[in-house]
Amino acid sequence: MNIRSLLAVIVFIIVVLVAVPVLIAKSGRWDFYYTLTSVALLSIASAGVWFTFYIGRINIGQGAYALAGGYVSAVLVMKADMNFWLTLPLAGIFCAVLSVFIGMPILRLRGVYFAMVTLILTEVMRLAALALPVTNGAKGITSIPLPGAVSIGGVTLLPDFNTLENPKLAFYLVSATLMIICYGVLWRIVNSRLGHLCRSLQQNEELAASIGVNISWLRVLAYSISSFFGGIAGAMFIAVSQSIYPSSFQVADSVNFMLNCFLGGLGYVFGPMLGTLVLYFGWDLLFSTGKYQLLIYSSMIILLILLLPNGILSLGLFNRKIKADKHRDQEGQ
Amino acid sequence: MSRRSFITAAAVAACCFSTGSFAANDTLKIGFVGVTSGPAAAWGISNQRSMETRAEWINETGGYSIGDKTYDIEIVAFDDQKDPKRAIAGMEKMAQEGIHYVVGPNVDDGAAAVRPVAEKNGIMYFPYAFPKELYSAPASNAVLGMVANYQSGPAIYKHLMENEGVKKIAFVASNESDPLSQRDSGVEAAKALGLEVVSDSVTYQVDTTDFTPVILPVLKKQPDLLVLSGVSPANAPQLIRSARELGYTGLMSTETAQDAIVLQEGAGDLANGFISVGGASTPELASDMMREFVDRYTKMFGEYNDESNTKVYALEYILETLKANPDGLESVEAFQATMDSFEAPNPYMVGDEKLRYVGMSSFGQKRQVAVPLVVNVFQDGVFETMFVAEVD
Amino acid sequence: MEQILANGLYLGAQYALIALGLTLIFSLMNVLNFAHGQMYVFGGFVTYTVVVQFGLPFIVGLIASAVTLAIIGALIEQYLFRPVIRKSQREESTMLLAAGIAFFLDAVILLLFGEKQRGVPKIVDGVFNWDFRIIMPYDRILICGLAIALIASFILFMQYSKAGRAMRALAQDRVAAQLMGVDVNRYSMLGFALGAMLAGVVGGLLVTITGINLGMGGPTSIKAFLMIMIGGAGVISGAIAGGFILGMMESVGLTALSAYGDITYLVIFASLMVFLAIRPQGLMGKPWG
Repeated sequence: MNIRSLLAVIVFIIVVLVAVPVLIAKSGRWDFYYTLTSVALLSIASAGVWFTFYIGRINIGQGAYALAGGYVSAVLVMKADMNFWLTLPLAGIFCAVLSVFIGMPILRLRGVYFAMVTLILTEVMRLAALALPVTNGAKGITSIPLPGAVSIGGVTLLPDFNTLENPKLAFYLVSATLMIICYGVLWRIVNSRLGHLCRSLQQNEELAASIGVNISWLRVLAYSISSFFGGIAGAMFIAVSQSIYPSSFQVADSVNFMLNCFLGGLGYVFGPMLGTLVLYFGWDLLFSTGKYQLLIYSSMIILLILLLPNGILSLGLFNRKIKADKHRDQEGQ
Repeated sequence: MSRRSFITAAAVAACCFSTGSFAANDTLKIGFVGVTSGPAAAWGISNQRSMETRAEWINETGGYSIGDKTYDIEIVAFDDQKDPKRAIAGMEKMAQEGIHYVVGPNVDDGAAAVRPVAEKNGIMYFPYAFPKELYSAPASNAVLGMVANYQSGPAIYKHLMENEGVKKIAFVASNESDPLSQRDSGVEAAKALGLEVVSDSVTYQVDTTDFTPVILPVLKKQPDLLVLSGVSPANAPQLIRSARELGYTGLMSTETAQDAIVLQEGAGDLANGFISVGGASTPELASDMMREFVDRYTKMFGEYNDESNTKVYALEYILETLKANPDGLESVEAFQATMDSFEAPNPYMVGDEKLRYVGMSSFGQKRQVAVPLVVNVFQDGVFETMFVAEVD
Repeated sequence: MEQILANGLYLGAQYALIALGLTLIFSLMNVLNFAHGQMYVFGGFVTYTVVVQFGLPFIVGLIASAVTLAIIGALIEQYLFRPVIRKSQREESTMLLAAGIAFFLDAVILLLFGEKQRGVPKIVDGVFNWDFRIIMPYDRILICGLAIALIASFILFMQYSKAGRAMRALAQDRVAAQLMGVDVNRYSMLGFALGAMLAGVVGGLLVTITGINLGMGGPTSIKAFLMIMIGGAGVISGAIAGGFILGMMESVGLTALSAYGDITYLVIFASLMVFLAIRPQGLMGKPWG
């Protein structure tokens, strides 16, 4: 990582964690906190989807893991009386393990076949949540308490959210931090040996296998990382909404996660973040257009894809290095 | 220009002139958070349009007086796409707009998800969702906007037991949260009444295009009454048609509101005798004001929706309660305090029906609007009143 | 038992017809058309408007649906999919476009036709009843027959007409077909229009039985995806087989599992996933479609 990109990262972190709250306080638009919290969490789930794209698979099943993660957290908090912050990584790990079992058979599929199976997976998860006794079925789990305090050796790392004056701000800061960590991890993975191996899968699996890459292991690993992201995003969301139903994450969400990646740009690590921001925030901003909201929203999606079929980041204003990467990719294909 | 449109134009001109010449009214914003696009759009749209019709009517006739001020009513609507995550965003938006009274959301998950936001920001909301924990203490800010199925169901079953000799009952529901919860509470109520529940496990996907295989196993059990729990207006005619075409001759009912035109188009004569719950729009019960409401709605949006018979009430309750205690404009605590004793005449129904808050026996506190429980039966394209009951 | 099979056959015929259009578009352009269900809904509403609002005969409505959707399909191909496919690095990008079109059609349908469930009154009255072993209303038998006739004529068209042969050549190998002098642009457009038209015709047919509402689009697309997955993506015979298999599965599954209630569809979907994991290319698909 060179000085320039390090500087860019620092600026980004300052903007997200300092400038945004200051601007919101100045403008008085307190409702943006929730919208931006949603964007942060949904872009974590989208980051997972992006990573499966990175190994050449279209994943329309992230909603299933977000739902599973949400339920793991909700059940642990409500039935085992666990601290929410402990359930957050557990939800991620649960989803990662679950995805190993689901991924092993279905990752053999490619192209639209994989896409379709994952689409069914979301519906299967919803129906399972309706049928399993532990999830409380159709009635959902409601009145989930706000996250409690975290302290290590007497030092309070995170305060009890019940005691906070403004939990919205706290949720925003936590979610944004979580997002920054996740994208940092993703960026690190993509630029590591593992990332290069994953890219070789995207380009040609047979070729990768022939030079000694253990492709089935690699696929499952990538898929479980992706599902881990889905799980923690779902769990965090449940802490915000304090309730979960089988319909909390559904097929439409899975499709949206995928669209976020396309819109931002599949060739760019930060594509899904930008895609989520545009798609989710766009809908909210069009709120005043009333019954034409969906019409304008969909027309804008169509226009965007017509003008920038490779995602918004392909505009190339953002990073020269990414462009070089892209160039390399194209040559590889 | 026809005479009628001339009069309308003159009235509009007069209206503009009059508002122009006097000091403009303040604006009172009332929110709506619900689903107005996608598969369940019909629910939210009938809601939103009812509110807009009534607001326009009030504004046209000079505004609504609360305390010593007159207000124009503005409806601020947010489409949550039936997604609980969006519903929260919608409620945040309402808080941002300084709105304290919101109608919606339309479904269980959305209503549960907005609860923290509503309670934190001092918003009273009127969901069309039935979970009891939304309305029972410690929850304080939700008011059920219609009659819950666990209230209407027993009344219908009891009536049919006594008058039609129903003994065996069967339930069918779509495999989604709301209908399944309604089915479970319906089964419970039926058992409590001593009915024999012959089938309560058959479910269907909302996107089913042929209900014959769904309904076949249920009919094999030969129920006297087939309850379509929480059935959406889109599925109802198809279910009715499939059941009748398979030779079912017993009774059919649901506890949700339906639309007569939809039933007529989708099932025709086969829907005759179908029992559903509606507001006070049957000719015997509708007041002149209800008739005018239907007229205005039809004029504004081209076609009336019978689901609005129950959905006209929430806005009326909010405004009437505010009128009874203008302090409610600033604080929902004042509004809540007024709810316990509030009473006003019901303008949409003939007779001396009252608007008041109920729910003591279901929720332990008054967190439900008293919509008349009118049980309708469909006959040749229109609803007829079967019986009227009270909720306490 | 006979009843269950008859139900399955009826469901299968309508499913197969929906899947045909989707698989045709997929085989020609490798586009997974998320908007297929919305096209179906659009077709249904056009027929409804012509028959109920204008009071014209049913067949006119059906033709109006077919023509409208064919035009919409052709325009979508020419002005949206073609430029995006040309410019994008990864062909999956068309998924975003297809989803955008699906949202757009949803919005247009809501504004044009409203939010209510619509239906065309029964075109034939009466119920066929074979000794209570098979009960089937005549209008269903009619629609089922029409659907099968349409499927048959579609197969004949693809087999023997010049356009049909050109499209099959395109599906098999785009580059080779182009080298052999097939006008790729023209037949891609024709294929897309034909696929959209099929969706519209099914919508028009079913509006007499199941009615139509704006929410049916998305779920219909997903069901159609399932069918072409079962049969094998991009294969005409596979789509037909997939349609009939899904119809039978639903019919048999709902009866056999009715006692277990809520898990019926869980079992159906889970077994589909298992099937695809074992046979990744579906029944008759090219592997790695």
